[in-house]
Amino acid sequence: MMPFDPTWFTLSSILLWVFAMLFFIFSKRNRFFAATSHSLFSAGIGVLSVFVVLLWQELGRAPLRTLGETRLWYALFLSLIGYATYLRWGYRWVFYYSGIMAVVFLGVNLAYPDNYDKTLMPALQSVWFVPHVIVYIFAYAILAVSALVAVKGLYMEYFRKDEEWSMQLADNMVYLGLGFLTLGLLFGALWGKEAWGHYWTWDPKETWAFLTWIGYMGYIHFRYHKPAKVVSAMWMLSLAFVILLICWFGVNYLPSAVNSVHSYTN
Amino acid sequence: MRSTKKRAIWVSPWGYSEGWLFGLGLLITGLALQLTTGGLDSNTLSWPINFVIGLGFTGLIAGSWLFFRKNSLVSWLARVPAAITSIALVTFLVLLMGFTLQEDAQNPVWVQKLGLSNMTSSWPFLLGMAFFLASLGMATMKRLIPFKTKNFGFYLNHAGLYILVLAGLLGSADLQRYTMELHEGEIIWYANDEKGRQVEMPIALELQSFNMEEFNPKLAVIEPHSGRIVQETVPEMFEVDTGNRSEIYGYDVEIVRFLEMSGKVEDRYEPANSFGAAPSALVRVTSEDGTTKEGWISSGSFMMPHSLLDLDHEYGYALAMTIPQSSHYSSDVTIYTASGDEREARIEVNHPVEAEGWKLYQYSYDERFGRWSPSSVIEVIRDPWLPVVYTGIFMVMVGSVYLMTLGKAPQKKNGEEL
Repeated sequence: MMPFDPTWFTLSSILLWVFAMLFFIFSKRNRFFAATSHSLFSAGIGVLSVFVVLLWQELGRAPLRTLGETRLWYALFLSLIGYATYLRWGYRWVFYYSGIMAVVFLGVNLAYPDNYDKTLMPALQSVWFVPHVIVYIFAYAILAVSALVAVKGLYMEYFRKDEEWSMQLADNMVYLGLGFLTLGLLFGALWGKEAWGHYWTWDPKETWAFLTWIGYMGYIHFRYHKPAKVVSAMWMLSLAFVILLICWFGVNYLPSAVNSVHSYTN
Repeated sequence: MRSTKKRAIWVSPWGYSEGWLFGLGLLITGLALQLTTGGLDSNTLSWPINFVIGLGFTGLIAGSWLFFRKNSLVSWLARVPAAITSIALVTFLVLLMGFTLQEDAQNPVWVQKLGLSNMTSSWPFLLGMAFFLASLGMATMKRLIPFKTKNFGFYLNHAGLYILVLAGLLGSADLQRYTMELHEGEIIWYANDEKGRQVEMPIALELQSFNMEEFNPKLAVIEPHSGRIVQETVPEMFEVDTGNRSEIYGYDVEIVRFLEMSGKVEDRYEPANSFGAAPSALVRVTSEDGTTKEGWISSGSFMMPHSLLDLDHEYGYALAMTIPQSSHYSSDVTIYTASGDEREARIEVNHPVEAEGWKLYQYSYDERFGRWSPSSVIEVIRDPWLPVVYTGIFMVMVGSVYLMTLGKAPQKKNGEEL
């Protein structure tokens, strides 16, 4: 019963980003292509932002309850972070990868349309709801970029050994991402105290959130101590992201999570 | 970076090999203790024993650093290899926990014997955490002396995490968590623990009223015999409200009138506010061949049966109103304290109320009666270690902002493509 059709927004963003990336391929030599690419990509971000705002107003609650809703935010943050990383440091491939991942995530929403509804269970009606989830999704998006660096680095290591490769971007993203991850975790703890009476109950989602967090912490310490062991570090980073994905999506399918308080998707 | 000579193990300074062996040793010891003693009873560690242990453990770490920092073990604990191997051990144990359903008697006997299904009260977990904390504490000591302001972020993160984890682990023995089942007009001065035993409370509660607000119900096409919602129509379910109109499963459905609370009068519904009132709606359904039909539907309540509208469908499908979901619920109570004070309070989900060092939470109600529930269950929780844990939490929060600033600009090589 939406006064607007979510499909058009997601589809527009996807198309804008796809064309932006196509133009971007030729943007190095042609200034017109560069300008077009930048405008299209920003427009894609703009359209998605407008959609999120409209959805928020229409539902009368933050659209952060279902996995489909979190995918919207993820696509938004990922495109924003990828774009900002490119503007700030000039990594062209980050622009592509984050763009492609954002398109994939919106594509999933297109393939499985969410049944947006207004109901928000009392336990989620809290001032902590928005900061907890937004900070988390933001961390996830930043850490996705760090995982991309690691995967690309592993590819270079095994197939293109002759080229120089720096882990600096991955490290920067992990510092930033782990900072947000920690905040998200602690916001969750403070909220948990208000909503369920305790700040930490080893609920399956919490257990996996802890694993994600400690995985990245291990990475930081390892990088600090053995900066030259780049390959092991890249494997650690890839593995940490797998744990992150289990925490985000996989927990719902684990037999150990049948009693989780963290599943709201029905 | 590879050294030509292989370093002998257990020769100072210790590194990763010692860490893995140390961790393995703890794991084996833990499992042996688990198999022989059968896990930990967290209640034996309650106040003041946990306080003494915490103080002793911290004192031991501080003392060893102050007086024996040349010792192989002590200096090793303060460095990264111990941090990483202890992180690995804790990760391994928590990973096992992540795949095992906790506190469940369905697990195979060997899983239960090894403590895997009660991980947080098992010996391996305790020893792993002790290793983790020892490394964390020792690293903090190492940086604290000499004190440098530029290490402030490091202190916040490491000392904060140490305080948070230590207080969280030790404090769990002092956590009291009970429920009080309240009925309107009765003063209840006791709570029940999880085994159903009565516990006397320093406060008494009297339920004045239980309140619930609900979201509007939705429309669904169901199979009347089984009551199941027809799968294909799930995404088409829409909110019931006067004037709403939508297509559902090929039928054009319009809500002519919606009554949030109503009672059945002959074959129609009228607004009512009595005990057991239910939502209802007058709907107009137009099928593809143009025939129109009007009728009342209701989700019913414990007092009233539900009403469906037959859709003249070949499989006998009918239009139904779903049971509304609650949007808010709360209990208005009077709190009496032992000192003779008396006050009114509203306890709502996400808005606990504090009284005499206890926090009172809206826990549940009698779901058979929904919004008309005559009883309400309040959870009462006391956690005296909370201020210590929160100190740790806030230190790490500030520390995490510091962490975000650690990134450096990458070195670009002669404008090369990155």
